[in-house]
Amino acid sequence: MADFDAAIRQSQAEVAKAQTRISAITARVEEARAKIATGGPEIDIENATLEDVHKHTELMNANIAELIMGLDDVTAGFSKDFDEMRNKTGWESFVGIFARGKSEAMRQERMRTASIDAKLQDLIGKSDTIVRLLQSQLDLLNEQKTKVEGNLAETLTDRETVVGLLESVRAEVAALDPRLIELENRIAVEQDAAARTRLETELAALNARHNALIQDEQVHLAKSQTLERYIEKGKTWVDSLTNQAATQLVLINKLQTDTRQRVVLYDALSKSLKTAQQQDVAHRINEIGVKTDQEAQAAMAGIGAATNQRMADMLEAHEDHMVFARKVLEQKAKADERFARRFAAIVEKHDKNLYGN
Amino acid sequence: MAEAAPDHTELYDTLVARRYFSKFDQIIAHMPRVALELERDGVLSRAELRQTGAWTEALARSFQALGLKYLMTGRAEGPGLQQRLAFDRHESGFPLANELLFMANDAAQAAGRLAGMAAETEIKDRMIRQILTEQTIPSQLQYALAQRLYHQMLVAGELFLASNDVRAQWLSDDKGRRRWLLSWAVYDTQLNLPVVYLLELDDTGRQPLPKDERRWPEVQTHLMAQSLGGLKLLTIAQGFDRDFADLHPKQLKRLHLGPMYSSAFTLQSGPIGEVLAAARAPEGQDWALVWTLETLRSNGSQMEKTGWFSSAERQLFALDPFSGRGAETGATSTQRFVILPERPYQVLAELNPPGFRDVTRFIVSSSGHVMKAR
Repeated sequence: MADFDAAIRQSQAEVAKAQTRISAITARVEEARAKIATGGPEIDIENATLEDVHKHTELMNANIAELIMGLDDVTAGFSKDFDEMRNKTGWESFVGIFARGKSEAMRQERMRTASIDAKLQDLIGKSDTIVRLLQSQLDLLNEQKTKVEGNLAETLTDRETVVGLLESVRAEVAALDPRLIELENRIAVEQDAAARTRLETELAALNARHNALIQDEQVHLAKSQTLERYIEKGKTWVDSLTNQAATQLVLINKLQTDTRQRVVLYDALSKSLKTAQQQDVAHRINEIGVKTDQEAQAAMAGIGAATNQRMADMLEAHEDHMVFARKVLEQKAKADERFARRFAAIVEKHDKNLYGN
Repeated sequence: MAEAAPDHTELYDTLVARRYFSKFDQIIAHMPRVALELERDGVLSRAELRQTGAWTEALARSFQALGLKYLMTGRAEGPGLQQRLAFDRHESGFPLANELLFMANDAAQAAGRLAGMAAETEIKDRMIRQILTEQTIPSQLQYALAQRLYHQMLVAGELFLASNDVRAQWLSDDKGRRRWLLSWAVYDTQLNLPVVYLLELDDTGRQPLPKDERRWPEVQTHLMAQSLGGLKLLTIAQGFDRDFADLHPKQLKRLHLGPMYSSAFTLQSGPIGEVLAAARAPEGQDWALVWTLETLRSNGSQMEKTGWFSSAERQLFALDPFSGRGAETGATSTQRFVILPERPYQVLAELNPPGFRDVTRFIVSSSGHVMKAR
């Protein structure tokens, strides 16, 4: 399977590329974080770069999905083997024209050495290679995810602190404002020059304090906004990493389950073919199976039909029964009514002593 | 895609997995001693005993390797990879054959993977550092170390794999008729049981069989490909006799080294289930292992024409003399042995279920003593 090996190598290269890109992004995220911590210029984690990584990861996943499909070629080889076990080869058929017994003996001999163990091992090996490829990718994704998440958690607390600072500064500014207005009013009405100068000095100091606070507010606001942007980018990155990891897990699980089941199925099939062929116990195991299934199905369907029939009969009978019952009831009612009428007449006669009149 | 059979179950829990492996460690340790008893009774020859012993040792190593592979089940598993032992809990008790197939695949790549792993001392060093500085349990490092040890075992080899190649042992030489004992072992993928084959054959070829570059590989592939649980011994022996004109199979034995019954792990119906349930044996004592030995002997041979000028010796095999059951079993005799600790044996002896009349019982104690009872 030169194709498969080539495909594996290509996928490995793709995975390596994707991994360097993912690591680069995480490194950039961390660098940005470090810069924020030292208060240096902000590094932008460009959306373009993230998209680039996404595109690449998609490409890689498509590639790996193709590899998994490629395993189907390996499995197609099995069905060829099974066919060979079921049928005679061209040469055996040719010999069979002249000597039926010899042809059968040749086939028997071929069956005795037939084995799909090597192929099974090959299938397991290839699927394992792909799983490991996916696994390394998954490990990297998880590692990066924990890194970025840790980073993000720290940043969130940082931002909380900054926001807290910002609010305290704002509160102080708000507290300063009425004092400033009050001072200005007092200066406006002050007649004494000395007192006025003192007040003006006080106002100047207060103003300086106010300005400093406003500047602080600006700085904190800028920092908070930077952190917020960083958090947004970081979250996007974590989301993307989580999605990628989920894709990897799905691929790994599919591959592992498929391989396990294939191994069991192929092994069982080849062994039953060999046993059946050699021991003549269940020579036409497939046909027998199919026939049995069909019969079972027909029987089930028959039972179903019979049940339905019976149900219908019962319902119909029920209807008849109901009609009959209703008729009886009606008759009874009529009889009762008649009885009551007649009885009433007699009672009336009795009560009024009208007998014989 | 077909669903996996429901009798297959996976071990999720660390303690359960450990218990399963320690149980098998114990059981396999009894195997050579029981085989020795069989040799004393003349059921196995000395040479056969040696071969059987080698296979049980290989089996023990395979179980150790699996034990290491799944040491951290439920505690630290490689992310994504399913690190759980799957075993057949119905009429087997042994791990699924798939486990051994995957192990064979691991073994093929073990050397390469070992090169990429940290050394044992380094991992231990890191463990100590993590314990002392972070004061946490180094599960991931434990996992790494278990994997390292597992791969080391694989590199060391001598494991019982899904199919184990044919070995030859020289027995005797009688005027150009050399007698060999061939032995090989497979892990039956349908029954999920280890099976040992022992074939005694006469070799009239010019070259001694294991040195013959033409016949030996052919013999090996033929025998491996024919080692199916579904084939009767007679079918295997006759097919072999027919395909190799100068090899004459004289005796073929097939020894199934299981199933293992345990009230804790397996589902069983019939008398053995009652016995185990009634025994209420403590942990480590609640099991029974059944061995089945099928034997097919040749009691003569005749010449058969294979062409216009050639003829070949063909064996006549003796089948079970009792009531024509031979054709059904395809063997000269079938013997069953049950190996179990004292507690379950006591119950077995008391209940004395009808199916166990002709089964030889071996009672084993934890001290390694084996006693035979009929």
